[in-house]
Amino acid sequence: MRLPRRAVPLLAQAAAFLLALWAAPHLGALWGAPFPDVQRPVWDQRGWFALLGAHLMLSVGAVVIAAALGLGGGILATRGQGRLRPLLDALFALAQSVPPIAAIALALPLLGFGAAPTMLALVLYACLPVLRGTVAGLDGVAPAVLDAARGTGMGAARVLWQVELPLAAPVILSGLRVAVVLSIATAAVGAMAGAECLGTPIVVGLANNNGAYVLQGGLFTAWLALLADRALALLAR
Amino acid sequence: MIRFDRVTKRYGHRAVVDSVSLEVRKGGLCVLLGESGSGKSTLMRMVNRMVEPDAGRVMLDGTDIANVPPESLRHGIGYVIQSVGLFPHWRVADNIATVPRLLGWDAARVASRVDALLQLVGLPPEDFRARYPHELSGGQAQRIGLARALAADPPVLLMDEPFSALDPGIRRGLQVALRRIHAETAKTILFVTHDVEEALLLADELAVMQDGRLLAHGRPAEVLRRDADPVVKRLFGEATLAFHRLGTLRAANAARPASATQPAEAQLPILPPDSNLKQALMLMLESGTDQVALPGGATLHLSDILAAA
Ligand SMILES: Nc1ncnc2c1ncn2[C@@H]1O[C@H](COP(=O)(O)OP(=O)(O)O)[C@@H](O)[C@H]1O
Ligand SMILES: [Mg+2]
Repeated sequence: MRLPRRAVPLLAQAAAFLLALWAAPHLGALWGAPFPDVQRPVWDQRGWFALLGAHLMLSVGAVVIAAALGLGGGILATRGQGRLRPLLDALFALAQSVPPIAAIALALPLLGFGAAPTMLALVLYACLPVLRGTVAGLDGVAPAVLDAARGTGMGAARVLWQVELPLAAPVILSGLRVAVVLSIATAAVGAMAGAECLGTPIVVGLANNNGAYVLQGGLFTAWLALLADRALALLAR
Repeated sequence: MIRFDRVTKRYGHRAVVDSVSLEVRKGGLCVLLGESGSGKSTLMRMVNRMVEPDAGRVMLDGTDIANVPPESLRHGIGYVIQSVGLFPHWRVADNIATVPRLLGWDAARVASRVDALLQLVGLPPEDFRARYPHELSGGQAQRIGLARALAADPPVLLMDEPFSALDPGIRRGLQVALRRIHAETAKTILFVTHDVEEALLLADELAVMQDGRLLAHGRPAEVLRRDADPVVKRLFGEATLAFHRLGTLRAANAARPASATQPAEAQLPILPPDSNLKQALMLMLESGTDQVALPGGATLHLSDILAAA
């Protein structure tokens, strides 16, 4: 197994991230330095690890749903000579074109405050890259391989599971990777709808003119997104 | 064994296979020959229901295949294509094992079958079992393709220009291997090619297609008769038709038996067993004589070749 050795740098980065989260409340001088006017630069309204957990629940939950939709849509789009493809692609592109903040605002009356409208916004935003990755990956399977697979008497489902999806997996994973990064980075807007996450310090900071909060929330959100990108890059190889 | 009964396939308004009737006898190797686009692949793919005819029917061993579910039909028909189509994420052994596993064979039986097939197609099992397709040359890959098609011992083999993408030397090796395998296994083989030499080398029976129609069908010597259809003549090359015809005639059938009064001259070049008249003529040209000897003492004169052609 070669994976553990390649995973070492990633594990080190993850450890550095967690260490920074743990140390953040003790680094008042650091957060305060760019904002001399802010009196209480250290975020202390809620524990960073609680925010991280909530952020991951939101974004990973949304990615799981977006992956299911994107994968299912991508498979459908490539069946039967791709008849459904233009429709599905337009639908998913439309979903992504709704700005997450607008999606949250529109969903509030229906779904109320908190995680639900945020999840919806993230799913709408993240399922297009999965669909595109799935379609591109399935398109990339050599026609001769499919012809041979059908010729051996594999049924359509078996061809899909044993031949098409494994061969398309690297491209599908790269689509998924985009979805994860988008979702983690965008989950921060959930704080606007009252969903607790790494965006909460940003929203609180904006409301109270506390740039140091915004800095901390923004930094940890971006860091987490990059970490997830690295982790998936490792998985894709 | 395989019988096409007035099958037609249209794409749009064009009939790419036009009311073709053809029978391939059990154990025969029938070569479908025709230019690119003449409908050979379409006709062949009707046998394993990769293409459904618009009219007519295909019978396999007396059964109308329209009544056989495509998957189980295909388990009993080996299928080899020009671009091979090995599964790139599976090792050679797993590729070969595809159909046996679909049929639920146990692991031990699958493993011994894989080794037997590698041996049959001329690749040492211990060296090739665990390779991935990208670790094979073109010729090796097609040998594996052939092994995969033969894996569950299907009575019928469909081969669609399987050697056309290979270099001449490699191609010749595979043609020879196929003839040997055909002789050893007695499969019924339908073989598509656009290569005249290949067709004549392999065919028990030759079916010539043009524009979706069957132009001629029969033993190669019959198809290449002097009064052959003009299109057939053009396909084989007017200028070389007679030469190709020599390739379909056995030297032994035209030779003069050994006689006591006229003993074969000792220094005559000797033709290998089972040679055809084309090879005999080549040997005469090569050695500058107008006579060659056959194993067993018969002799063949240039005039015998002229008479037979
Ligand atoms: N699925 C298809 N749709 C439309 N036209 C086709 C299809 N398959 C084959 N054809 C056409 O039918 C003709 C015969 O094709 P094919 O059987 O592949 O010829 P060959 O194998 O002799 O080269 C060609 O002109 C080809 O373009
Ligand atoms: Mg063809």
